[in-house]
Amino acid sequence: MDSFKKNDGNRDELIIQQQRDIEKEISDSTPLVGEQLPLTCLWAEYNGDDVFTAKIQDLAKKYKFIRRTRPDGNCFFRAFAYSYMEYLISNNSAYKEFQKLAEDSKDKLVELGFPSFTLEDFHETFMEVIRRVSPDNPGGYNKVQSELHKIFNEQGYSDYVVVYLRLITSGKLQEEAEFYQNFIEGDFTIEEFRHQEVEPMFKESDHIHIIALCAALGAGVRVEYLDRGEGCIVKAHDFPEGTEPTIYLIYRPGHYDILYPN
Amino acid sequence: MLSMLSAKVQILHKPFVCDKHFTIFVDQLNGMILTELTLDPPEGIVAGPVSEDNFFEWEALIAGPEGTCFEGGVFPARLVFPPDYPLSPPKMKFTCDMFHPNIFSDGRVCISILHAPGDDPLGYELSAERWSPVQSVEKILLSVVSMLAEPNDESGANVDAAIMWRERREEFNSIARRLVRKTLGLPT
Repeated sequence: MDSFKKNDGNRDELIIQQQRDIEKEISDSTPLVGEQLPLTCLWAEYNGDDVFTAKIQDLAKKYKFIRRTRPDGNCFFRAFAYSYMEYLISNNSAYKEFQKLAEDSKDKLVELGFPSFTLEDFHETFMEVIRRVSPDNPGGYNKVQSELHKIFNEQGYSDYVVVYLRLITSGKLQEEAEFYQNFIEGDFTIEEFRHQEVEPMFKESDHIHIIALCAALGAGVRVEYLDRGEGCIVKAHDFPEGTEPTIYLIYRPGHYDILYPN
Repeated sequence: MLSMLSAKVQILHKPFVCDKHFTIFVDQLNGMILTELTLDPPEGIVAGPVSEDNFFEWEALIAGPEGTCFEGGVFPARLVFPPDYPLSPPKMKFTCDMFHPNIFSDGRVCISILHAPGDDPLGYELSAERWSPVQSVEKILLSVVSMLAEPNDESGANVDAAIMWRERREEFNSIARRLVRKTLGLPT
């Protein structure tokens, strides 16, 4: 009987509620995507710690700015989307290519077994966001960039973009299940992993998410790892290996932000 | 029985067919919740917003699955959608008397699809279907129908019901049949 008593629904609800309150406190104090800041603003966070001071100095040789994202478990997808779209609005031919790929992605996901009825809503919003940041829009780069920033800070649009990228990632895992199964730790099947760790919001991303998303979109991302590890150099990793990156992210344990190279 | 159900269908669906203003409002809300079920509701289920002023609260009527102790009953329930639906799942609560291993005594439904992974009140199995933004109201209601047909006594929201279902099935069935009569307004 004891084990049953633990199943008190009201207590569980209270725990879940408390967790929601903590999440809300975080989200109310951090914008979804922040302003561009000098990279050296990171120093303030580490309070003169020797290892981090040296590593940030190293990083500052390569990057001028950082842009923070909200630490809500969606940071990789949000940072990736923002950074990639920033690249696309300055590169008309890449933009056109991506727009086509995004347009076609819905039918592909339906073929892979996603329910078209619920998928449609996310796809439509995703396409609307892409249209709103077209490099052909009047006002030039600055105008479009500020539109991008505005959209990414509107919860509804911003989260729908995250959802759609999660679905694309999940679709890629499904499409090449045999290959990606090798990357999955523990007893998860690809199917379980997609439904538990990829599709739901607020679930943090791992290398496998990055690899699958890059493969699905044909995009390259460089991640700089800032942690307590040995040495005073920040290690970088390119996904997929050997690709010229168009997206630059900084990873600190548990969180991704956007970087701007010199 | 059937005529009762279809009378309710008409009441619930009335706003969808005859009010233009409603459609405009739906568009503003992205249309997501509202259009879902009305296109092609599964057999034995009807659902729709309680009023035109509040699309975030729905009433559903679920027919007890055939060949089970709940057969013949029409069970009313409320669905409450969070402001960030469909990123987070709705909550569901039966508004009639219920006695079932996966329904709390206050009517709250406790099945895995109403929870996101990690949000795990009863320690569901890894493979159990969870909420994600591509799930839908329809999927939830279908899961509730299968829950009525096949209770999961491993995650007991109502411990007494779980034990009785496991050990004294006849007694459980007769309580269920009484609840069925009650939903139809028949003497129990």
